[in-house]
Amino acid sequence: MRPELKEYKFDSMLLSTFTAAAKLRNGSEKEYRTMLKYIPYFNGTVTAVLDTGEPGQLFIECISKYLENYITAREKGFHNAITTFCFSPGILYAMDVYPICLEVLSVAQTFAYRRGTAEFLDFCNEVGYTETSCSSQRGTLGAFLAGVGADVDMVLTDTPGVCDTNANAFAFAAAYLKVPFFSLDMPPVLSEARSDEYHNSDFRALIAFIEKHTGRKLDIDRLRTVLREIERQEELVAELEDLARMVPNPLPVSFNLMVYATRFLFSGMKECTAVLESMLRVASDNASRGASGLSGSVEKMRAFFCYIDHYTNSLRLWDFLDRNGICYQGNILSRSWSNMAPHVKEYRTEAAAYSFDYGDLDAMIRTMALHNSRMPMIKSIRGPYDAPDMWLQDTLSLAKMYSADCIIYNGTPGCRNTWGMVKLFARDTEKAGFPTFIMYGDAFDDRVESWEASQDRLEEFLRVRRLLV
Amino acid sequence: MNSAFMEAAISLNNDYVREWKEAGKKVVGYTCSYVPDELLYAAGILPYRVRGFGATEATIGDTYFGPFICSLPKAMLQLAGEGRFDFLDGAIITPGCDSMRRLDECWRKAGEDISGILPKFFFHFGVPHKYADYTVKWFIEEILRLKADVERHFGVSVSDDRLREAIRLFNKSRDLLERFDGFRTAGNPAIAGTEALAVILAGTTMSRDIYVKLLEELLETLEQSRGTLKDRTRLMLVGSASDDVNLVRLIEGERAVVVADNLCFGSRFHADRVDETGDPIEALAKRYLAKNECPRMYGEYDGRLKMLIDKADRANVDGVILQNIRFCDLHGSENGLFERDLEKAGIPCLKIEREYGPLVETGRLKMRVEAFLERIGQRRQSA
Repeated sequence: MRPELKEYKFDSMLLSTFTAAAKLRNGSEKEYRTMLKYIPYFNGTVTAVLDTGEPGQLFIECISKYLENYITAREKGFHNAITTFCFSPGILYAMDVYPICLEVLSVAQTFAYRRGTAEFLDFCNEVGYTETSCSSQRGTLGAFLAGVGADVDMVLTDTPGVCDTNANAFAFAAAYLKVPFFSLDMPPVLSEARSDEYHNSDFRALIAFIEKHTGRKLDIDRLRTVLREIERQEELVAELEDLARMVPNPLPVSFNLMVYATRFLFSGMKECTAVLESMLRVASDNASRGASGLSGSVEKMRAFFCYIDHYTNSLRLWDFLDRNGICYQGNILSRSWSNMAPHVKEYRTEAAAYSFDYGDLDAMIRTMALHNSRMPMIKSIRGPYDAPDMWLQDTLSLAKMYSADCIIYNGTPGCRNTWGMVKLFARDTEKAGFPTFIMYGDAFDDRVESWEASQDRLEEFLRVRRLLV
Repeated sequence: MNSAFMEAAISLNNDYVREWKEAGKKVVGYTCSYVPDELLYAAGILPYRVRGFGATEATIGDTYFGPFICSLPKAMLQLAGEGRFDFLDGAIITPGCDSMRRLDECWRKAGEDISGILPKFFFHFGVPHKYADYTVKWFIEEILRLKADVERHFGVSVSDDRLREAIRLFNKSRDLLERFDGFRTAGNPAIAGTEALAVILAGTTMSRDIYVKLLEELLETLEQSRGTLKDRTRLMLVGSASDDVNLVRLIEGERAVVVADNLCFGSRFHADRVDETGDPIEALAKRYLAKNECPRMYGEYDGRLKMLIDKADRANVDGVILQNIRFCDLHGSENGLFERDLEKAGIPCLKIEREYGPLVETGRLKMRVEAFLERIGQRRQSA
């Protein structure tokens, strides 16, 4: 790793970057356009997000606030925890623990810097962490292992049983940094009473762990407040998802990313609700005018991403989709699995969803446990992919419901759990009538395959399958 | 050493399996050391650890698995696809790791394309990733679910008495293997690591009562023999699943001896006993969940490090070889931590990444091992 990267804390640098980005629109349009020239590797992201108006502005502010929260947590007498995107932060906020979501920070770095997370990725390997591990965690993990991140109080994950390489990243981090570790374990089946019981017991153990390491007891009123906010957020997301069914889809391409990223950052907090409400206002306005969310206003086709997006190079994927009139019909990260979600109602899969119960503390803990067990990836990619309520069923249902013309898989080479069966999965989705494309790049590391090469292959697929004429 | 061990270790459908089948009895394969063999044995079924040994290509494995996947399950699928596991009447897949758990779907889908390669009994066995009262409860239920399915499918009944009997027999074999370990770790080992791995592997492919008899005979022989492996560099082998005696042979060469291991195909099996009192299912659940020192049990690194250091001390090793199969992030990353901490404790380490299967990397591996032995030799001289 270059010595200069060790001069400043990476997260403080990122905080400065996003704080400055949040102020870009404060000046005149001319000043804004001039400023973009000075951030050549960040301006794609900035324009894609800020050009959506108020939602984009709030979203950038959210990222800034998130960074500030965890960086300053200790000096304010709170705690922080390294955690993962599919771990709902609600319980942490209810217990004054500020989450440090590795994957979101990796994305933020790939958005902001030309180097992305390359040197932190490589630093992990220098200290013994495998180069074949998933780049989503590794990109930020390296910074913490190198001592250029905030000091950390604990490490939490919920992916054992779902994603080894994810769980392993957190176990490695805890052992390397010598901080307390807790993992929620996921059994291979979802919709069974014994699985619910397992999730509930495990979640109680998590609460006991946090109480032990923070010295704070779980406050029932705080928990209720967080849960009510999550419920409100589920309602908003359900409305956004309902709107996405319209033709043309009134949601701008970048909204999907903003929905899931905001929830990963601030689920259960007002900040997230504000972004979602703002997005809903824009989408509803577009819908009332029959307008497409695409900047070119013409929707040529609809793509459903069955896994994650491609984050490198300043949102080039989103730019590609928007430029080509390809409507983004969501991915696995953006779906909610509360019983009010449109797809849950459409396919009557309430047994695999979760509902809100504020009856007493036990009921709320159970609600949180089930909410957490229905987070993206956690819900769909445990057990065999073709089992009930798992990845294949979810993907086909969503692709059909959102009128997708094709299904696109993008992940990272470190993703053992999907690369173990994605060929079979694609065979099944093709059989079901959806042209399916497997991208071989790395969502977080352009060195694996350049975005240009990935784009060429994607274009070839769209051309050969006559999807984009 | 009785050649029966080596023959059983290097052939899939060995004489013992064939004899078992000829007697009209069933064989069920399993892919991970978290499956309690005792349960199958008590059902009159031969528990058989599925291996990838002998696969010479990956055409079938690569067809179903993606490219970034460990070569062990690919080799297993390859062998299954070639019909070399046709003697299996059943298979149990566990989420030992992500690559291994996807063997479930890959084998099933390959079975749709290649007729006859999928055993009629096919079971996904959900093993928790941590030890707590509620995970043990889940695991007990999972063992009971397996038991019920085995009983239903094979038309057998597994009584508590039969299960206790099987537990006693398997514990006896663990006792014998522990005694056997004494001959490996002695000042002048009486048996090389290559043969030792064959002895342990053989137990996963033959009837346990025969295995116990063979072990007793072997121990008698060893007791009367003198340790012949003098002045060799003493190594411990740690890391990813390794069932290839040729890998150990390559490591040992003429100058080293592998006196200890921590492999799931190796000495992890006899690391502890199943409680012979109380409820047998609960006893199995507790032993198999608690005493399997695998990095799939997240957050237990400190315990595993201590176990390795203790083992290294007992065996008086000169160095540790930490190996992992490429794409095995669990062992690969933990090996990185082990390397840091064992070196800090004064134990030299060699960390190698390799492919599973035929030793296509013999030259490279040999060179690295030789260099490691040189390093240990210099260290001794300067001490």
